[in-house]
Amino acid sequence: LQPPAPGYGSALHLSGGGAEAATGPDTVSVAVRGPRFRELKIGAGHRLDVKASGVFVLGIGHGNKLLTDLYNCHLTKVYTVGGLFGKATDDFSDTGKLVEKTTFDHITREKLERILAVIQGTNHKALLMHSNIDMKTQEAYELAVKGLIRPMGKSPPIIIAIRCLQFTLPEFQLEIQCLHETQQYLRKIVHEIGLELKSSAVCTQVRRIRDGVFTLDDALLRTQWNLKNIQNAIWDCQLKVKTEIEKTLGHQDKSPLHKMDVEMAQAADS
Amino acid sequence: MGWACGWVYMQTAAPPAEALPAGPQSVRQLREAEEAAPVFQYAGKAAKRKDRVFVWGFSYSGALGVPSFVKPDVSWKKPRRIQSTPYRLETEEKISSAACGYGFTLLSSKTTDITKVWGMGLNKDSQLGFQRSIRDRTKGYEYVLEPSPIPLPLEKPQQTRVLQVSCGRAHSLILTDSEGVFAMGNNSYGQCGRKVVEDETYSESHLIHQLKEFDSRVVQVVCGQDHSLFRTKKGAVYACGWGADGQTGLGHYSITSVPTKLCGDITGVNIIQVSSYGDCCLAVSDEGDVFGWGNSEYLQLASVTETTQVNVPRHLPFKIGKVKEAACGGTGNMVLTEEGNVFVWGYGILGKGPNLIETAVPEMIPPSLFGCSDFSPDIRVAHIRCGLSQFAALTNRGELFVWGKNLRGCLGTGRMEDQYFPWRVTVPGEVVDVACGVDHMVSMVKSFT
Repeated sequence: LQPPAPGYGSALHLSGGGAEAATGPDTVSVAVRGPRFRELKIGAGHRLDVKASGVFVLGIGHGNKLLTDLYNCHLTKVYTVGGLFGKATDDFSDTGKLVEKTTFDHITREKLERILAVIQGTNHKALLMHSNIDMKTQEAYELAVKGLIRPMGKSPPIIIAIRCLQFTLPEFQLEIQCLHETQQYLRKIVHEIGLELKSSAVCTQVRRIRDGVFTLDDALLRTQWNLKNIQNAIWDCQLKVKTEIEKTLGHQDKSPLHKMDVEMAQAADS
Repeated sequence: MGWACGWVYMQTAAPPAEALPAGPQSVRQLREAEEAAPVFQYAGKAAKRKDRVFVWGFSYSGALGVPSFVKPDVSWKKPRRIQSTPYRLETEEKISSAACGYGFTLLSSKTTDITKVWGMGLNKDSQLGFQRSIRDRTKGYEYVLEPSPIPLPLEKPQQTRVLQVSCGRAHSLILTDSEGVFAMGNNSYGQCGRKVVEDETYSESHLIHQLKEFDSRVVQVVCGQDHSLFRTKKGAVYACGWGADGQTGLGHYSITSVPTKLCGDITGVNIIQVSSYGDCCLAVSDEGDVFGWGNSEYLQLASVTETTQVNVPRHLPFKIGKVKEAACGGTGNMVLTEEGNVFVWGYGILGKGPNLIETAVPEMIPPSLFGCSDFSPDIRVAHIRCGLSQFAALTNRGELFVWGKNLRGCLGTGRMEDQYFPWRVTVPGEVVDVACGVDHMVSMVKSFT
């Protein structure tokens, strides 16, 4: 008998112990069987830095391949970003070294929303420019009407949509839907909004509420990190992930290369 | 700079510099230092939004009003032929109305000061009035490179206000609130509303003609290429000028040198807006109907007739809803309905991709191209404007969308290619109004804060 490996055994022990009370091999305790999973390949999705919080996607085993596919789908992420008017710091967050303090009593919700409209406008232009589609084609027009133009390769951070959720001076909260971003970029946006309004702002909170198809409802809280919940979560999301990958990458199967392969296979058969 | 002030403050107050350790300070010390830091004020509580003018397009005619583009003030700088993105034009007064002609621009303000109208660009037909040359006091300038005052022969210059300006190919109209309409420039077809004088030289002319004989006060003036339209308070439309395409709408194809009232389908109809820039004209009634006359070679009026010239206003029976505003370009037309939808028809780059080149029946441009989406569902187009082969739309959020032929960078997108569907122009402010010309555009913008 081997004692359970340190670390693994303790995590699995929490759920395994109380729940199962049936007959059969399950009644043999973990201490006898050993840990159910000896090696787990775990991969991480889009990064979340130390000061941010929210949805963080991990892949286990076969899920790592799905993670790569999801990355190639270039799906958008949604954040709630909290800001505070009145000061500017060197790293754009409220824990940084103070650079300057400014007044903010002239700021109103309308002024903020005007700035947000312009940010959205310039980013929309960047979206169309980086998507590598020739603007002169009818195809580009069709995609622009449907709103499906998106860079499907590397691009600088782009904000798809931004709007103000709450505004009580000096605090405000924004909801930002973006692509290829970093959390520090979002903090920088808050700082630039402050500058544009002739004041200054720091970012107090960055919280990811959606990453591609995964929302806050799918995410597990710290207290829910056990085997049963993880298994249930994976099971619930399977269908969503599969449909999204097929929808976005599926049409690439109809690419000329694939057609050529099919033709060659048919020619070889005949 | 903030820290420099803070250092001075600390010198007069308690701890000398050595007392604060150079290493990491405690949270309390950091908070105290933060509280002691001075607060800067960049904008006061009652700060007003500023009014600005932005120009872009072809600059060598002087129409942009920036002399350094044409004649650089420093020897190592090169002249800038095309300004492809919006460029701020400094003006002394708040500009309330602007108009772009064929190579020249007029700006006007509602002020009661003596100088109410400024002009820049081509002046070979005195469309900007007489601009006295500094070098030779008897001669006038052919090209005006920066906004120059246009002296108007007003009876009460300190009371009358200029409401609107309009520019055509070589003539311009200025509308005042109490002294009628002033017309300047080329009059070879009677477009200035006065009798044609044979062999008249229009360059360096001091003549500014005043027009007052209408059934009621004139509330809108529109210049077509070589004709003029006047809309009065009672809802009538008057026209004068070149009529070979029927653009004067008076039932004949000859020139008219006195503003004459139009009849046809608009008799008795209260017209609330008129538009023209080339040889076709559109009018909108208070009930939301559209009337058109003039050139129809590009299917502008093909919905009612097959003839290529229509010299009497005809009702265009479109089933697109109540029309609020119309804009007429050289070969394409556009209307805006009460719901905020934009419809285009005619010939050229109409805004629905490269496949739509011509249509006689109006086609709607999808609202999603103007930024309307699930995230922001209440975006609507508020105003529409037309240049010779370009279109512009202003949304209720103050964004400017342009499309059409990008002649010499006049779209302002920063690129030189033609634009086949509405594209945002990045302007640092909320766009209030825009005037489109042949190869340049002028916009009136309010700053954000």
